[in-house]
Amino acid sequence: MEPAVSSLYVHVPFCVRKCRYCAFVSEAADGAKMDRYAAAVARELGALDGGRRLETIYVGGGTPVLLESRHWDRLVEALDRKGMIPAAEWTVEGNPGAMDLAKARRLRALGINRVSLGVQSLDDDVLAGLGRIHRAADARRAFDDLRRAGFENVNIDLMFGVPGQTLEGWRRTLEEVLTWGSEHLACYEVIYEEDTPLFRDRAAGRIREDEDLACDMYDLLLDRAGAAGLSQYEVANWARGGGAGEFPGRACRHNINYWRGGSYYGAGPAACSHVGGVRRRNHRSLERYCAALERGEQAMEEVDALEPLARAGEIAAFGLRLTSGWPYDLFRQATGYDLRTEWRTELEQIERLGYGKREADRFRLNPAGLRMADWVAEQMLRS
Amino acid sequence: METDHIRNFCIIAHIDHGKTTLSDRLLARTGTITEREMQDQLLDSMDLERERGITIKAHPVTMVYRARNGETYELNLIDTPGHVDFTYEVSRSLAACEGALLIVDAAQGVEAQTVANLHLAAKQNLEIIPVINKIDLPHANVEQTKAQLEDILAIPAENAILASAKEGIGIDEILEAIVQRIPPPKPTGAPSLQALVFDSYFDTFKGVVNHVRMFNGALERGLEVMLLHSGKSLEVKEVGSFNPKPYEREQLGVGETGYFTANIKSPLDVKMGDTLTDARHPSPQLHGFQEIHPMVFSGIYPINTADYEHLKTNLAKLQLNDSAFVYQAETSVALGFGFRCGFLGLLHLEIVQERLRREYGMDIIATYPSVVYRVQMTDGTVKEIDNPAFLPEPNFINQIEEPMVRAYIICPNEYIGDMLNLLTEKRGTVLNTETLDTRRVMMTSRVPLNEIVIDFHDRIKSLTRGYGSMDYEPDGLQVSDMVKLDILVNSEPVDAFSCIVHREKAEGRGRALAARLRDVIPRQQFAVPIQAAIGGKIIARETVRAFRKDVTAKCYGGDITRKRKLLEKQKEGKKRMKSIGAVNIPQEAFIEVLKA
Repeated sequence: MEPAVSSLYVHVPFCVRKCRYCAFVSEAADGAKMDRYAAAVARELGALDGGRRLETIYVGGGTPVLLESRHWDRLVEALDRKGMIPAAEWTVEGNPGAMDLAKARRLRALGINRVSLGVQSLDDDVLAGLGRIHRAADARRAFDDLRRAGFENVNIDLMFGVPGQTLEGWRRTLEEVLTWGSEHLACYEVIYEEDTPLFRDRAAGRIREDEDLACDMYDLLLDRAGAAGLSQYEVANWARGGGAGEFPGRACRHNINYWRGGSYYGAGPAACSHVGGVRRRNHRSLERYCAALERGEQAMEEVDALEPLARAGEIAAFGLRLTSGWPYDLFRQATGYDLRTEWRTELEQIERLGYGKREADRFRLNPAGLRMADWVAEQMLRS
Repeated sequence: METDHIRNFCIIAHIDHGKTTLSDRLLARTGTITEREMQDQLLDSMDLERERGITIKAHPVTMVYRARNGETYELNLIDTPGHVDFTYEVSRSLAACEGALLIVDAAQGVEAQTVANLHLAAKQNLEIIPVINKIDLPHANVEQTKAQLEDILAIPAENAILASAKEGIGIDEILEAIVQRIPPPKPTGAPSLQALVFDSYFDTFKGVVNHVRMFNGALERGLEVMLLHSGKSLEVKEVGSFNPKPYEREQLGVGETGYFTANIKSPLDVKMGDTLTDARHPSPQLHGFQEIHPMVFSGIYPINTADYEHLKTNLAKLQLNDSAFVYQAETSVALGFGFRCGFLGLLHLEIVQERLRREYGMDIIATYPSVVYRVQMTDGTVKEIDNPAFLPEPNFINQIEEPMVRAYIICPNEYIGDMLNLLTEKRGTVLNTETLDTRRVMMTSRVPLNEIVIDFHDRIKSLTRGYGSMDYEPDGLQVSDMVKLDILVNSEPVDAFSCIVHREKAEGRGRALAARLRDVIPRQQFAVPIQAAIGGKIIARETVRAFRKDVTAKCYGGDITRKRKLLEKQKEGKKRMKSIGAVNIPQEAFIEVLKA
């Protein structure tokens, strides 16, 4: 039997301004639109199978902290009615430019116990180049505010490989952030997504990628994060805490569920869900999303139903991004397939290239393999 | 129609001098097509032809013209392909005519193709009617063009008709000149039927439809005929002409032009240029039959080996309407099963490849084109080699002869130096330089075909900012010091990249090739050495660096589907590459090699 769904992603599509690297759905913050949005999300949540507390909730965006108290109340009320909260891990993404102490306290009071703070960089030139609305000083203050509001589980998002960013600048950002002592660190190399100004800049030759520099930055990251007592548990994620399990205690359980092919609900425009082996995505357009729910319909725009083997390939591909790889028994539970026999050729090839190893209980990538995780994923996919 | 009221002619011109427009005008003026159809027809050709401004395939058209003397004439316009590669086809078409309209653009003047085509027409003793076209253009220089006709082509300028096909000027004069100046066909005096087969196309219902020019006797349905060269006997099923659509006729008489069908299934059964005669009382062969010899060869392989049968089917389809294109199965160590294809020239090669890609949607790889070398072995035997893979080891070779061409290059005076440098680079020799007018010269030179196969024409165009032009004709063989250059990717020789080059150019070419490949072969999980070698000796080496990373991080909001689709797209892209050893090589690499 399909295990009960115990994760929920809520997408908040409002932003003060769109960042230059972002291809995600977002709308200018507008009170009336947010009212309509909150009502639609409440409706969508109301239609889910409830009666069971969720393990994780992740409210991402966009800029969720732009929502007013009344919107949060609406959301909490809907979750409460379904018996879904309190959740063990409830994360909200916070933009340093839109976060203040009062807001942080209100969020904490709602039962939210984790904030992912989009610091990105402590170099104002880099922040400006990315089109972020905040400056380094905002980030420092926002982190303090979160601590003062009582958040004991905070993630810092950083970006590297940003056009104009130097190795020295990256070192300064990294070293300072590591002194803050956050429980979690996520570091992403900038991605050039289609339909973003950054992508167009690159296409026009105004900026160019420097693979060697990005690799040097990643090396520095591995070195410094480890030295600061953080443990890497995924290509781009580090956390504190020992713990008896496979992952550091403060690892983001919500994201681990994504990588391990787990089920989750999605609410809000463009939100994705994975329930009963089928991935679905809601309308990207806020208007269509709201209109559908107001008509009493589902807001689904895309269904991604795969053959079992193809789905298993996808799950194999994404799970290998974790440093603990795929335990064979867990993989079988998640997909019904045997990783070692079904993907034997691929695993052998990955081993031959020195990227990973078949251990007694699991297959995992080594540090060299984690840097080739996309290539590995391509090998594992089945169509 | 009485023989003395028939005229067979063609139009020869440099590209863009207005051949198609004039043809359409003649058809419209004689009422063969309406003005409206004329517009439609301009649009009704293959994409490729339009893009390149050339005519690859056309039917002969029969026009009925009432002349000023009150009499009615049958005028047969026999179209000729507009490119140097199709020289043999041009001469075949010319052989079906008694006269030719030579069009010269009044603004551009005489160009290389004008010269080459005129030489061909002169060899056939055709009556030439010079037409100076586009006289309505602001930069038209009629006097200078006339001077060029006299000086370069030795054609009396007073014979020239001034025209603008676009504006309809001079069309009546041209039609009258066709009637008055071009001689009517004369029976050859042979005892029976003689007809020249000069082109064909494939019709799904009728089979091969052959274009014929009648020289003697009459051709009609039910007649037992024979093709003299192939010795095949056939029963004629249908005869007719084109107006420009095919229409059936009772018979074709002396001097007429049209078509016949005879349930012929394969175009290969009819050699172009063959003579058709009465099977019971055969007449002698008409002058001028030549077997078509492809000049350039290249291997065509499916990217995906599973597409082999599909490729075979499509090559056969292409050949139905292009009897000059030949192919046979071959295998390559690197590329697997494919076909060795013969072409009349590089344009012909490009056209076939483009059509396979565009019209038939095939992912193919074409190997480096090769000309045909005549290799004299130490044991006295002679081999014809059109594939570098089959070039014998040097110690068995006595000498290698390579095909030469006579190239006519016309360029503005200020580029003479550049042209001389280019010819030197291409191992060519200048035989003669003539002044065309105050601005331009024509250089006649002898160049190895191997050197002009790839980029000679493009180089002339770019060196002269588009003002230069070039045409060529085959010009025998020459003994040369040729060697085989191999390219090794990840230590494996890729025969598709091999070529036969002159020893002095091998090293430079090897370096250029390796450098080019370094840029187009995508990086892999490991470093890929690219080496150029002559007879096992490495002369150049480049390395495609290994990836240092291949990972992007964020899965926004759990949108695994989006990320998976991106990965699938990348994976699909690699599938469209040819996997050689452990290295994926994209189609572009095979194309880029040609440009190195």
